[in-house]
Amino acid sequence: MTAEDCPAPPRSLYVHLPFCRRRCAYCDFAIAVSGPDLQDRYLDALLGELHSVSRSAAAVEPLQTVHLGGGTPSLLGPERLERLIEAVAAGFSLAEGCEVTLEANPEEVTPAVAREWARIGITRASLGIQSLSDPTLRWLGRGHDAELGLSALGWLRESGIPQVSCDLIFAIPGQSTAAFLDGLDRVLRLQPDHLSCYELTLEPGTTTRRLVDSGRYPPVAEAVALEQLRSARARLLAAGLIRYEVSNYSRPGCESRHNLNYWRGGTYLALGAGAHGFLGRPAASALGLPEGGGVGVRYWHYRDAATYVRVLGQGSSGIRDSEELDDSQLRLERLALGLRLTEGVEVAGAQLLAASRRLAAHGWLEVEGERVRATPEGMEILDRLTLELIAA
Amino acid sequence: MGTPTARIRNFSIIAHIDHGKSTLADRLLEATGTVAPREMTEQVLDTMDLERERGITIKAQAVRMPYRAADGLDYELNLIDTPGHVDFAYEVSRALAACEGALLVVDASQGIEAQTLANVYKAMELNLEIVPVINKIDLPQAEPERVAEEVESVIGIPRERCLLVSARTGQGVAAVLEAVVTQLPAPVGDDNLPLRALIFDCKYDAYRGVVVYVRVFEGRLGAGTQIRMMAGQGTFTVDEVGCFRPGMEEVPELAAGEVGYLIASIRNVRDSKVGDTITEAQRPATRALPGYRQASPMVWAGLFPVDSDDYPDLKEALDRLQLNDAALVFEPETSAALGFGFRCGFLGLLHMEIVQERLEREFDLELITTAPSVAYRVNLRDGQQIEIDNPDQLPDPSQVISIEEPRVKLEVVTPREYLGGIMELCQERRGEFRHLEYQVGDRALLTYDLPLGEIIHDFYDQLKSRSRGYASMDYELAGYRAEQLVKLDVLVAGNSVDALSTIVHRGQAQGQGKRLVRRMKEVIPRQLFEVALQAAVGGKVVARETIPALRKDVLAKCYGGDITRKRKLLEKQREGKQRMKRVGSVEIPQEAFMAVLTIDR
Repeated sequence: MTAEDCPAPPRSLYVHLPFCRRRCAYCDFAIAVSGPDLQDRYLDALLGELHSVSRSAAAVEPLQTVHLGGGTPSLLGPERLERLIEAVAAGFSLAEGCEVTLEANPEEVTPAVAREWARIGITRASLGIQSLSDPTLRWLGRGHDAELGLSALGWLRESGIPQVSCDLIFAIPGQSTAAFLDGLDRVLRLQPDHLSCYELTLEPGTTTRRLVDSGRYPPVAEAVALEQLRSARARLLAAGLIRYEVSNYSRPGCESRHNLNYWRGGTYLALGAGAHGFLGRPAASALGLPEGGGVGVRYWHYRDAATYVRVLGQGSSGIRDSEELDDSQLRLERLALGLRLTEGVEVAGAQLLAASRRLAAHGWLEVEGERVRATPEGMEILDRLTLELIAA
Repeated sequence: MGTPTARIRNFSIIAHIDHGKSTLADRLLEATGTVAPREMTEQVLDTMDLERERGITIKAQAVRMPYRAADGLDYELNLIDTPGHVDFAYEVSRALAACEGALLVVDASQGIEAQTLANVYKAMELNLEIVPVINKIDLPQAEPERVAEEVESVIGIPRERCLLVSARTGQGVAAVLEAVVTQLPAPVGDDNLPLRALIFDCKYDAYRGVVVYVRVFEGRLGAGTQIRMMAGQGTFTVDEVGCFRPGMEEVPELAAGEVGYLIASIRNVRDSKVGDTITEAQRPATRALPGYRQASPMVWAGLFPVDSDDYPDLKEALDRLQLNDAALVFEPETSAALGFGFRCGFLGLLHMEIVQERLEREFDLELITTAPSVAYRVNLRDGQQIEIDNPDQLPDPSQVISIEEPRVKLEVVTPREYLGGIMELCQERRGEFRHLEYQVGDRALLTYDLPLGEIIHDFYDQLKSRSRGYASMDYELAGYRAEQLVKLDVLVAGNSVDALSTIVHRGQAQGQGKRLVRRMKEVIPRQLFEVALQAAVGGKVVARETIPALRKDVLAKCYGGDITRKRKLLEKQREGKQRMKRVGSVEIPQEAFMAVLTIDR
């Protein structure tokens, strides 16, 4: 890695809003099930952190993307959201055409709320539909039903928010391939700009994991999961979407720019409980993160919302810890992240290129100059291909 | 001058793991003032980390305790601590042979356990006087009466002779010392006869050379004595004799009946063989003490460094272990699959595990161990006979007339009720019944003739499980016999892997092949390609399994927060991958090379 590759100043901001009505059965994220009281105190703390970060030298470039993630950011209600977005816009400068994404659950969406979101400057809504089968939604512990999911998607489309995305999950124990594909078709009829289509991961400690481990629900066979992945991909492509990442599809030009920045190894600021940020050395120093020999720094906040509020009240930055990355760790991350993208990643070094060509000979990768990208077949075993390359 | 022979007592302690042998030994050391209370560490006698951790004794120890008895006279008590596993059965028997008596320590709530019984029988064979000690009587669940009754019915010692003790609190310890003096016989032996001293252990000391643990039966041993090993033939001049209190302490001489050590510029533990008799070079005894047995390796396995750069370190580590371990032998070996390593000979599997563990722990080496094998004799068409301890060395079948395998005389001592199950086990392992003898109490002595190769893997564990732990075994080599033996090869993706070959009986080849490839399928992770696993005899495939190609391996979600976690996972996976051995395009984890050990029969 040369000096020019040294991570650039951040142009993206992630804001974590951890509140949820309940914890979904498959979720292991940093969330807080709580009432409006903590929400207000949290927002105050968050704005406090925002002010000090935005005044620091870490925030020199106009922001290209802002992502309000959760949790359930839509729970905050339009007034609080407006306050937050105004504070972001006042503290940082937003670039022309800045992407401002809001993660939303169908339960909070009404035609009026959706129009409010458009008015306060949300440019992209990401809707957690997850499934269009009511028993499956219940099994996942979601609070909405299929009808509300579809309605919410329709209202968002009509609200004036420029881009609408939604999430669907496959490989769910108990759901047939036919039921999953039927749901996918119903979503596609509403022509979302973007669709994230994930395989369910049974994270340790989650209810779904326990249900499967205890034998009460049979795990989804690998062949079934693969069939769902392949069929979904075929339908999404047929609907005119492109696959730009392992699990993400979009109309051309409607990719999540915020997430693309992650996968391309870009830097980003983070605010809020449990939020992770990534900065080059100069920006990290500006935030007061410890000095070392590293080129890039990953940092993260206190995960628990109440703790986060408390430490900010005591004058802390809210940052729990950080790690410095040296060149080789940065290269490893860039390779692992970049391979997830259909555009692939530039690799350096004869050994890595030779290993890439060996895998390309089997149809898993394509090599063009120094750019390596995974084929659709390769995407299915991407983690192993990545391991082959990093161990080369 | 030394203590009169009549006031010497040589004894050992026989006990099951956790029944309190070490604690009782500690209390005796304290009560006799041999070790001051402030110098006490737990398990004074178990000096190796491995011994303290596993609660087992690997090397024998001997400590001399001065004791003024109730009769007002001063006695010299020599406690000889013994190792406790079948791999070291011979060492145990020599340590017991150095004694006139033994304390049998039994847990007051557990009763007599198998391992204990085995050593009790051994002690009885050697005519040792046994004093039963029921320990841990302070515990609420203690049932000393029931245990005393068990001692009487199983071993035949009257229940009223059992001493009741709590080594933890010290209760009854004084009575133990008195019993050692009053119940155990003094040694008999003439100081004026030609020297005969039994070697019951030795250790290598970096500064002083080999320290030989001896029990003098006849004659005298002192600095300047010219000694000769009666079996080993070497001649040395004694520099120093002494005893352990518990540290080494020089004394002017060791007379008949005494236990201690000698140092004589012996540079190699091989020159001081356990069980050998030391005599005077000038005035040799005519007959050696009975019971000497050449300690020879029974089991052979390849040890290879995971990282081939560690080869020189492995050699140095083995050299250093060998200084203190006469039973360990090794020579360089090359494997197409595993690179450069060493073929090592061991007394048994526990010995192998201990060596492996010490290499990894004390020398920080990462090793791959291949499946253990015995040594075969191969008769060739050209009239030669060669000995091979590595299946891969077996010549092409066209050159071979016959293969002979080593056999053992196996003796099992067991309570009668388990005889049926044990005989069944022996039959399954191609054993031939020789003899059955009912002995005092409830026990039976069963003798079988079996192939050594059938008992090295899991026979001991099976014996224990089929006798609920009560049977004990011992074996010695009993010649070779030609059998229908074949080499079972394992092919991974069509490539024969030398380090996975084993020699098996023809009748078992298919079954063993099936179990082996099935087990390997479990331990070899799925690869990018389908991998065929085959077991073959002379090029003919007898079993086959297929590891299907990896079809799906991709994390669905990967956003900002997950990246540190993902990178750490990748770094860990890379490390694991780099430790695997490549055969052709297939990556094989270390445990696959030991698959043969972990298959269920």
